[in-house]
Amino acid sequence: MTITGEVGAGHAHRGTAAAVVARGLTKVYGQGDAAVEALRGVDVSFASGAFTAIMGPSGSGKSTLMHCLAGLDTVTHGQVHIGEVELTGLDDKRLTLLRRERIGFIFQAFNLLPTLTAEQNIRLPLEIAGRQADQVLFDRVVETVGLRDRLGHRPAELSGGQQQRVAVARALISKPRVIFADEPTGNLDSRSGAEVLSFLRTSVRELNQTIVMVTHDPVAASYADRVIFLRDGLLVSELFQPTPQSVLDTLMKLEA
Amino acid sequence: MLRTTIAGLRARKLRLLLTSLAIALGVGFIAGTFVLTDTLQSGFTEKFGAAADRIDVAVLPAPSEKDEPAFLSQAVLERIRAVGGVAEAQGLVRGTSALIGKDGKAAGDYPTSGVSVVQGPLSRTSIVSGSAPKTATQAVLDKNTAKTRGFRVGDSIAVLDQENVRHEFTLVGLFDPGLDQELAYTGAVGYVTETAREMTGQKGFREIDVAAAEGVSQEEARAAVVKAVGAGYEVKTGRQYADDMIKANGADSQFLTMGLLLFGLVAMFVAALVIYNTFNILVAQRTREMALLRCIGATRGQVFGSVVLESVVVGLLSSLLGLLIGYGMGAGAMVLLRATGTPLPEATATLTPFTVALAVAVGLLVTVGAALLPARSATRVAPIAALRTQVEEHTFRAGVVRVVLAALFLLAGAAVTGVGVSGPPGQAALVTVMVGGTLVFFGVLILGPVIVRPLGAFVGWLPGRLFGVPGRLALDNSGRNPRRSATTTVALTVGVTLMTLISVLTGTLRLTYSHKLDEQFPVDYMVQSQTRESNLPRALAEGLRTRPELTSVVALRQTDAEVGAKGEPYQTGTFTAAAGFAPAFTSGSVGALRPGTVAVADYVAKDLKVKVGDRLPVRTKKAGRVELTVVGVFDAEKTNLTEVTVPAADFDSYFGAVGDSRILVNAKEGLSSDVTRKVVEAAAQPYPTAKVASSTEIRSGFDEALDMSVMIITGLLGLAVLISLLGIANTLSLSVHERTRESALLRALGLTRSQLRAMLSVEALILGLIGALVGVVLGITFGWAAARTATSDVVFTVPVPQVLAFVALSGLAGVLAAVLPARKAARASVVDALAAG
Ligand SMILES: Nc1ncnc2c1ncn2[C@@H]1O[C@H](COP(=O)(O)OP(=O)(O)OP(=O)(O)O)[C@@H](O)[C@H]1O
Ligand SMILES: [Mg+2]
Repeated sequence: MTITGEVGAGHAHRGTAAAVVARGLTKVYGQGDAAVEALRGVDVSFASGAFTAIMGPSGSGKSTLMHCLAGLDTVTHGQVHIGEVELTGLDDKRLTLLRRERIGFIFQAFNLLPTLTAEQNIRLPLEIAGRQADQVLFDRVVETVGLRDRLGHRPAELSGGQQQRVAVARALISKPRVIFADEPTGNLDSRSGAEVLSFLRTSVRELNQTIVMVTHDPVAASYADRVIFLRDGLLVSELFQPTPQSVLDTLMKLEA
Repeated sequence: MLRTTIAGLRARKLRLLLTSLAIALGVGFIAGTFVLTDTLQSGFTEKFGAAADRIDVAVLPAPSEKDEPAFLSQAVLERIRAVGGVAEAQGLVRGTSALIGKDGKAAGDYPTSGVSVVQGPLSRTSIVSGSAPKTATQAVLDKNTAKTRGFRVGDSIAVLDQENVRHEFTLVGLFDPGLDQELAYTGAVGYVTETAREMTGQKGFREIDVAAAEGVSQEEARAAVVKAVGAGYEVKTGRQYADDMIKANGADSQFLTMGLLLFGLVAMFVAALVIYNTFNILVAQRTREMALLRCIGATRGQVFGSVVLESVVVGLLSSLLGLLIGYGMGAGAMVLLRATGTPLPEATATLTPFTVALAVAVGLLVTVGAALLPARSATRVAPIAALRTQVEEHTFRAGVVRVVLAALFLLAGAAVTGVGVSGPPGQAALVTVMVGGTLVFFGVLILGPVIVRPLGAFVGWLPGRLFGVPGRLALDNSGRNPRRSATTTVALTVGVTLMTLISVLTGTLRLTYSHKLDEQFPVDYMVQSQTRESNLPRALAEGLRTRPELTSVVALRQTDAEVGAKGEPYQTGTFTAAAGFAPAFTSGSVGALRPGTVAVADYVAKDLKVKVGDRLPVRTKKAGRVELTVVGVFDAEKTNLTEVTVPAADFDSYFGAVGDSRILVNAKEGLSSDVTRKVVEAAAQPYPTAKVASSTEIRSGFDEALDMSVMIITGLLGLAVLISLLGIANTLSLSVHERTRESALLRALGLTRSQLRAMLSVEALILGLIGALVGVVLGITFGWAAARTATSDVVFTVPVPQVLAFVALSGLAGVLAAVLPARKAARASVVDALAAG
C-alpha cells in the first residue's frame, strides 16, 4: 500500500483533469541559522471532483502545503497550478482575485464574520466578487447542510457545528475549482464532526466539488477518497479508499 | 505584578505612544501657555529692570477716583529740581497730536500720540536713526509710522495741535516705541518737552523721573523728594517703579493665561475621553490575559493595580512629552507673535518648576482618572473567561437606566436653556444657556451608545452604497461596539460643537446688528472726527447738505451731562432732523420731541426708573439745572441716538454750539458710489481730522476684526479636534488588532488589499461624520441660544459653507486618521493573521 517517491500524478481517481497540481514545492521559513524547511520538494496533484485528505505528524508541513496551494502564502521554489493558472509569480492582487473566483476555504475556527447573519456569511464571497448567487444552488446548498431555519441568526447564536456548516455552505456557494479545509472538524465533537464531513462528501458526490482537507483524525480522513501523508516536509505515502483502520496503520508506520 | 505590567507595556510600544500623544498634546498646550506667559513676564522684568537702573525716583500723581488723568505741574518739577541730592529731574508728557499723512488727512484711524523725548541720563527713548529733537521745530517719529506713512529723516511733517491748527516740524530722527503697546498701536510723534506740552495741550506731566546725584541712594533721594513735594503724590524708588510696571504687565499676561487655559481645559477633556476609551478597549482585549492572571492566583486588587499602574506610566510619559511639546509651542508662539508685529521683549523661552510640576500633575491626574473606570471593569473579569475559546462579541443593550438618565439630562438641559432663551438678554441669560448646553451635552454623552448606530446608518447610507461590500462591512463595524464608537465620536463632537457654535453665534450677531441699523437708517457714509475729544465744525455738515447728490445728512452732537436725581453722568446729545431719519421708539415718539422734552435709551429709562410723562432733571452748562419731560424711550441697539437726547435747539441753549461728533450721510438712489464718495470726501477735505467711511467699510472693518477672532478661536479649538482624531486613529488601530483574524478571513475570501483599506477608511469616515453631525446640531442650537442671550430680535443665520466645511473636514480627518491602521491591516500576511490567536 505504501508508495514512496512521486505519488498521485496520473492517479486521477474521479473526474478527468487535475484541479490542483504542485511541482517541486519548497517552502523555507526564516533565513540563515533560523531557516526552517517546512516543505522540501513536494510533487502532488489533486484530481477534479475528488475529496483528498492530507495527514501527517504535527509540524510535518500540512498547513504550509495547504497555504501554498491556496495562494495564501508564497512558495520558495516550485510551481502550483490551479486549473490552467499558475499561482507562482502572481502578485497579491491577482492572487486575491484568483482566490475570489476559484478557491473556497473552511478553517478550524473563526470562520465567520460575527457581524453578519448566517445567510449574509454564506453569500459573502459572491458579494465580494460582485456576482449574483444562483438561487437554485443556494437552496440546494442550504438544504444539503440543513440550515434553512438558521439563516437569520448571527454566528454567536449558532453552535460550533452549525457555524462550521455555515462555513461549508459558504465555501460551496461560489462553485470554486477547489475547497481547502484546514482541520474543519478540529473543534467539534464527533457527532457534529461526522455531520460536517458527510456534507463535504455529499457535495463531492452530488456537486462534483473538489476538496482538499487537512486533518489529524483518521476517522475524518476515512471520509475522503484518498489520503496523502506528509513527514518532515516530504510526501511519503498515500492511500485510496481509506478506512479509519488503514489510515491509523499508515500513521503508525510513519511514526515508527 | 509590576513586572508583568512593564513587560506588557514594552510589548505595545507603538500603541503606548499613540495613546500618550493624546494626553501629551493637551498637556503641551497647557504647559505652552505657561511657557509663553512666563517668557513674556521674564522679558518684561528684564526690560523694566533696565529702566530702574536709570531712574532713581519716579513721581506720579496720586491715583484719583475720577477717570480723568491727574497731572504734575511745572511747579512740582521745579521744586523737585531744587532738592539737594537730585542731579536731574524731567517731566514726561503724553497726549495726542494727529500726524497729517501725505494725503493731507490725519493719519490712521486714531490720532497719533504726542510724547516728550528726554535726553541725557533719564532718556528712555531709543533713537534708531537720526537724532533726538533739540529745538521746538524738530520732531521724531516712531519707526513703524514713518515706514507706513512714507516719511524719512530730513522730511518736513505736519501735526495738528488740540485746536486742529497745523504745525510743521523737521523730522530729525526715528525712534523705537519698544514695549509701549499704546504708542505702538497709535504711532507717536516725539518733541522736546515744552513743544510736547503745547502740541498735546496737556496741563502738566504724567510722570516726573529723577536721577539722584552721585553717592545718593534711591531711598535717600526718594525721602528727599517726598519732603519737597508733600502729600498728594506717589513717589517711588526706581526699583519699586519697575516692580509695579512688571506687576501691571503680569496682570495682563494673567488674562492671556486664563483665556488660553480655557482652551487647554477643553483639550484635556477630549484627551480624557480618548484615554478612557483606549483603556476600555485595552481591558476588553486583554480579557483572556486578565482571566489567566486571575486563574493563576492574582487578586482583583492586583488586576486593578496593574491597569492603574499602566495608566501611571502612560501619564508620566505623556506629561514629559507634553512638556517638550509645550516648550516648543511656547517658543513658537513667541516667534509667531513677533512676526505679526506685536511688541514683545526679547527673551529665550523659560520653563519654570511650576510649569513642570503642573504639567506632570495634570497629565498624571487626567490619565489615571480616565483609566479608573476601565480598571474597575478589569477586576470584573471572571477567571473562567480564560477558558473560552472565542472572544465574545460585545453585545450592547440600551439599558433603562441609561435612557432614563439621558432623558433627565436632556430635559433638564432643554428646560434650563429655554429659561435662558426666553428671558431678557444679558450675562445671566448667557450663563443659564451655558449651563443648559452642558447638561444637554452630558445627556448626549450618556445617550451616545444608543444613538450611534442609527446615526451611523444615516451618515453611512451613501458611503455604504458607494463602496460596495467594503462599505457595507464598514457600516456594520462602525456600529458594532456602540459604546466604543460613541466615546470615540463624542471626543470629536466637543471640538465641532464649539467651532460651530462660535461661527453661528458670530454670523447671527453680525447679521442681527446690521439688520437693526439698516432698519433704522441705512447709512451710506459716516463722517467722524479722528479724535474723540474734538468735534467736527458744523460747517462740514452744512456743506454736505447743499449737495444735490446726497438725500439726507444727519449730524449728531453730544457731551456729558449729569442726569437724574443723583446726577449720574450720561452722554447727552441731539441730532439734526433729516428726511428718512426716524428712530424707532419703544414708547412715545420722536415727533413729540419739542422744546423742554427729552428722549432716553431703554437702559437709561430702566436705570433712572423713568417712563414717558415723567420729569427728568438734567444739569446743563449754560442753563443750569433743567427739568425735562420724558416723551420717548428708544431701543439703544437700533438707533444712533445718544443715550439722552434733547431737541437740537435746546441742546445749543443748554450746552452751547458744540461741534458734530458724527455725521450720517445718505446718497441719492441710483448714483454710483464712486461719484457720491468723491462728493463726501471733497466736502471733508478741508478738515484734516474728518474721516469718511462708507457703511461697507465700517462693516468690513468690523467683520475683519470678528473674522480674525473667530479664526483664532477656531485654531485653538483645532487642538481639541486633533486630539479627538488621535482617538479615532487609536480606536481604529485597536479594532484592527482585534479583528486581525477577521481581516485575514476576508482576504482569504477574496477581498483585495485596497478593499480592506477602503473598509477601514469608510469606517473612520462614518465615525468622523457621526461626531461632526452631532456637533453641528448641538453647535447650531446653542449658537442660536447664545445669540438670543446677547440681544433681542435675533436674525438667525447659519454660515452654511463654514458648517459644511467643518463636516467635510471631520470626515476627511477621520479618513486621514485611518491611514496608518488601514495600512497595517492591509499589510498583514494572511497566513500569519490566521495563525494569530
Ligand atoms: N511562520 C513561520 N515561521 C517559521 N517557521 C514556521 C512558520 N510556520 C510554520 N513553520 C514551521 O514549519 C513547519 C511546518 O509547519 P506547519 O504549520 O505546516 O505544520 P502542520 O503540519 O500544519 O502542523 P500541525 O499539525 O501542528 O498543525 C514547522 O516546523 C513549523 O515550526
Ligand atoms: Mg496545521
